[in-house]
Amino acid sequence: MWNRLLIRKIIAHSVLIASCALILIPFAMVVLASFRKGNFPPSTLWLSPEQWTLDHWKYVLGIPYREVLNAATGETKLVGPTVAPLRWFLNSLLVSAIASFGIILLSGTSAYAFARLKFRFRGQILTGLLVLQMFPQVLTLTAYYRILNYIGEHFPWLGINTFAGLILIYLSGISINIWMIKGYFDTISPAMEDSARIDGASRFQAFTRILLPMSAPIFGVVFILSFISMISEYPTASVVLQESVNRTLAVGAYSLLDEHEKLWGHFSALAVLSGVPITIMFLLCQRFIIGGLTSGGAKE
Amino acid sequence: MNDGAVHITDLVKTYTDDRGRPTFTAVKKINLAVENGEFMVLVGPSGCGKTTTLRMVAGLEKISSGTIAIGDRVVNDLEPKDRGIAMVFQNYALYPHMSIFNNMAFGLQLAKKKKDFIKETVTRTSKALGLDVMLERKPQALSGGQRQRVALGRAIVRNPQVFLFDEPLSNLDAKMRVQMRSEISRLHSQLGNTMIYVTHDQVEAMTMGDRICVMKDGLIMQVADPLTLYRQPENLFVAGFIGSPPMNLLKGKIERKGGGLVFTESAEQNAVTVPLKGLIEPLAAKHLDKAIVFGVRPEHLTEGSSENGSLVPIPSTVDIAEPMGSESLVYLKAGTGNLIARIHGETLFHMGQPLTVYVNTDKVVLFDPETEAVIR
Repeated sequence: MWNRLLIRKIIAHSVLIASCALILIPFAMVVLASFRKGNFPPSTLWLSPEQWTLDHWKYVLGIPYREVLNAATGETKLVGPTVAPLRWFLNSLLVSAIASFGIILLSGTSAYAFARLKFRFRGQILTGLLVLQMFPQVLTLTAYYRILNYIGEHFPWLGINTFAGLILIYLSGISINIWMIKGYFDTISPAMEDSARIDGASRFQAFTRILLPMSAPIFGVVFILSFISMISEYPTASVVLQESVNRTLAVGAYSLLDEHEKLWGHFSALAVLSGVPITIMFLLCQRFIIGGLTSGGAKE
Repeated sequence: MNDGAVHITDLVKTYTDDRGRPTFTAVKKINLAVENGEFMVLVGPSGCGKTTTLRMVAGLEKISSGTIAIGDRVVNDLEPKDRGIAMVFQNYALYPHMSIFNNMAFGLQLAKKKKDFIKETVTRTSKALGLDVMLERKPQALSGGQRQRVALGRAIVRNPQVFLFDEPLSNLDAKMRVQMRSEISRLHSQLGNTMIYVTHDQVEAMTMGDRICVMKDGLIMQVADPLTLYRQPENLFVAGFIGSPPMNLLKGKIERKGGGLVFTESAEQNAVTVPLKGLIEPLAAKHLDKAIVFGVRPEHLTEGSSENGSLVPIPSTVDIAEPMGSESLVYLKAGTGNLIARIHGETLFHMGQPLTVYVNTDKVVLFDPETEAVIR
């Protein structure tokens, strides 16, 4: 009996450890590569003290450092304060944050309409949204390019090579969010808003002061998911943003892996850095994503 | 002072689907006058249109046709907040993210009342309801009874002319329900406001209402005070709906036998026959040889002959007896059907035991089976 329990524990723990390793080992390899001298692709879980360097991080953070050109002669070159990586980082933050807020605004209001209002073809439009979501956004990339190009001819601030244009495209992919938020609204008793209306709230006030605060958890989830997906989004950003200085983090990081010179160390440092805003955003959103926030107001 | 009177005239509610096509009519041209200060209960089975009617009075549901007037104003096109009403919902509908204080103050805040006034009003009301110690808590920290009391308080601070209740007690446990029932009744006598109260529970209707409006399938079946409703139901539906256990209703016809009038149950064999004597006789004479529904309340089937009135014996056997202590509900087999009798609790009855019950024919009500209306 005792033995069987032990065996079961061992099996369970092996499975758990293996799955943790599957996630953690590649991550550790990237972290180590960002601290290793020279530009080697992430490959080992070992870093000897003499290989240790902060050069890649200095490059990424725009701190000047001396690069060894020839180890034998000891010839070095001063690499000036680089601007590009930090710019990419800030670009990504800006685009992701604005687009995430925009997504919440758009999908929240649309979801409200689908959940609470009556209009023609409501069911059909909802189904349509779901079907549209099944096609990857990449398929429409050339169309987006043409559209942005055309818009740019008339409104240059919204065309190709602008953040506004990229955000515009990101805002178009919200159907799954509409579904998620609508699903959440459906679980909230309409009596809440009825009650608010009797208390003198307009439809808009009932939405902003009652329904929105009650739906904070789902908005937290939608925000963090959008944020993560946009920080790491590559195809659209690479097509829309073509100048080096206004690249986003993912596009910029990939540009370090040039065909002729693959700067794996720089790339690794930048990749680790891109996890920082995601982590911070996650910690901030966690506050909203607590269950049980809506319990107790109504009894079904 | 006539501000709190509610006049409902030719009210119709037809629901529509997403395309605006009519799907079904929940309220079918009803007329109802609720007097100022009256406690009016709307009661009926689910789907009878009582809640829809209440929601139209509140302004939460659009009126298809007809008018609703509160006081002297027709309120058809007024926003809920401008109608001088407050509403208490079945599921309390408290705002979970707000403290109890803010829940009660929300309406006043939206109306842009002065802070001092809001604080004073909410404090006073919460004290009266015994909620003053929990003003800072969130709804989820409260018990069901407390939550419904907060919902009451939220309605009271609005100082409405008319209180609307939508099955406010059906989510509470039995004991709490009885307590809140008397609390709402007390509130009514203290405030003196008009109250319209929707419930499917006929006990709530009987115990709380000044008058009761019984509804079925979007129509009003009868409006009367509780005792009139109980003693003089105007139709078969009210007779069957009000009272627990319900009225015994036997189908049959009136015949002349041996010089007197007799009700005979329509059955192949063992039909119950009741000689109709006393007050009921002249009524029955008018419907000689016609189909009829014979109604008698369980308490008018008695064991002994101690009662006053025209008593007629019916031989029967006990099927099931439910002794309650003070009385027993005895389900009897008589003729083909079953009868329920409410008998004093002195004796214990056993299954299969023969029992002769006496019908007090003065209390019998006769209905026309076609129109379902009472025969007077």
